Amino acid sequence: MNRRQLWISLLLLWSLAPMLWQLISSFTTTAALVDGGVPFLQRWTLIHYRQLLSSDPPFWRFLLNSTVLASASTVLTIALAIPAAYGLVRLPQRWLRVSRALIAGAALFPYVLLFLALLELARSLNLGNSLLALAIPYSALSLPLALLLLTAAFEGLPKDLDDAAKLEGMSLVQRLRWVLIPLIAPATASTAILVFLFAWNEYPIALTWLSRSEQLTLPVAMARIAGSSVYSVPYGAYAAATVLGALPLLLLVLLFQRQIVSGLTNGAVKG
Amino acid sequence: MSLTLQSVGRRYGDTWILQNLDLEVGSGECLALLGPSGCGKSTALRLIAGLDTPDEGSIRINGEVMNGVPPDRRRVAMVFQSYALFPHLCIRENLNLGLRIRGVSPDDQRRRVASILEVMQLGSLAERRPSELSGGQRQRVALARALLRDPLVYLLDEPMSNLDAQLREELRPELKRLVLQGPQPVVYVTHDQQEAMALADRIAVLRNGRIEQIGTPRELYERPATLFVAQFIGRPQMNLLHRETGLIVGIRPEHLRLDREGLPCRLIGREWLGAGQQLLLECSAGTLRMLCDGTVEPGDDLRVSWNSSDEHRFLDGSGTRMA
Repeated sequence: MNRRQLWISLLLLWSLAPMLWQLISSFTTTAALVDGGVPFLQRWTLIHYRQLLSSDPPFWRFLLNSTVLASASTVLTIALAIPAAYGLVRLPQRWLRVSRALIAGAALFPYVLLFLALLELARSLNLGNSLLALAIPYSALSLPLALLLLTAAFEGLPKDLDDAAKLEGMSLVQRLRWVLIPLIAPATASTAILVFLFAWNEYPIALTWLSRSEQLTLPVAMARIAGSSVYSVPYGAYAAATVLGALPLLLLVLLFQRQIVSGLTNGAVKG
Repeated sequence: MSLTLQSVGRRYGDTWILQNLDLEVGSGECLALLGPSGCGKSTALRLIAGLDTPDEGSIRINGEVMNGVPPDRRRVAMVFQSYALFPHLCIRENLNLGLRIRGVSPDDQRRRVASILEVMQLGSLAERRPSELSGGQRQRVALARALLRDPLVYLLDEPMSNLDAQLREELRPELKRLVLQGPQPVVYVTHDQQEAMALADRIAVLRNGRIEQIGTPRELYERPATLFVAQFIGRPQMNLLHRETGLIVGIRPEHLRLDREGLPCRLIGREWLGAGQQLLLECSAGTLRMLCDGTVEPGDDLRVSWNSSDEHRFLDGSGTRMA
């Protein structure tokens, strides 16, 4: 093993070991989790998963809730961010620089400070306990980052391509549909994953907006499992929930992997 | 079909990129906009295409005022210096996209794309992406796309400047046959005077956003209106001699001849070009470039002269031609 492989192995261990630990814990009996003396063959169980899936509401319900909410937030964010980013890039340089500074400021703002105000809004607009309504604050909070990433992507496109499409007789919508959006697909895919991740992991707003148990998203549901008893910490159940909660994300990254391949604009102009 | 520009101007802030541009390109005519980089020739093209808006003046295509008409409604075809092919589409889709957008029936789309692929000898490349093509092939695709546009005006923005010299010469007749023989006016932007002379019916020489002179290649060559045009047109460059105060005399290298009675010179450089050769001479009035037959062996005692009828006289300072 040369130096480089050693470093890569260490880095992989560093990032994967906690997940591996969770995976092993999720299949370990409650007794074995606190007692290292349990013989190896008697340590294993599926009880944590069985419990999770047979609880009321069953755990897959939270997975479904989070998937629906994260997907809706992502679609809404991307649908708003693409035309907005294109518009920003076509602004005069000075305006673009000012808007970008403002957007970066918004992206860096610690959103946790907003959750009380958002809760007030949810109350007065009657948006509480509605899963899909959460997509509104989620997109609003994700938009600054999405805008920064997508304006960079649009700026990276040669302007001649847009001009050539105009002269081919394409309207703005047609140019976006046939030329511009396909060309920024890699950037859109990575932006979408980031937005999806944010919505998937978001805790304080979901905690305050949702209270009915069949509406809960994954982070809130997991917190409920973790805090369900004052006397013990349900490590096994918690680990099983973590594993199930990570699966859809793994799937997502595997699906989008090809899209994130860059270099799609090679050969657009003289290469 | 015609294209008319009337005192068109464009400025960025306080600087005028183009000013008082008057052009008239008739049916089937090819006008070259010639000038050094930054002279505003590409801006002029973008104004005609509608990709940029003039600050003053009017642009007409077939007599119809185009100011305010967006580029997608102008029916103008443009070949970009960068070719601007859509990198995510194969050649066939690149050519087909515009037709589909403009509502051509699927049968017609197939027929027209197939025929243009054949004309441009691109048939075997139809399923490839632009990135898999050579410069010359990309150039042909860009031309094919312009032809399929079925435009009222062709605009060519340095279409050959990214190609090597040999390919350029091969493509020139093709360009002439396909684009320049139609009834549409053609505006051809280039910084290469040789290309402009070879392709254009008339040439407008631009300098700092203004037309320095406009005329046929022959007029520009034989009667350059200013010193700038005189030096820009014709290679090797015209010799300039300061013989009297306030006057500059220009004489083309090919009009110099060896003459025993002439001006005594010293040979300081020689480029042999096969059929001809270029001699670099030093005389009392300055250095002279001279073109002569390739077989001439310059001796020690070189004397050159020229006919006074071949002289071009310009005012020192303003650079304008005297009579």
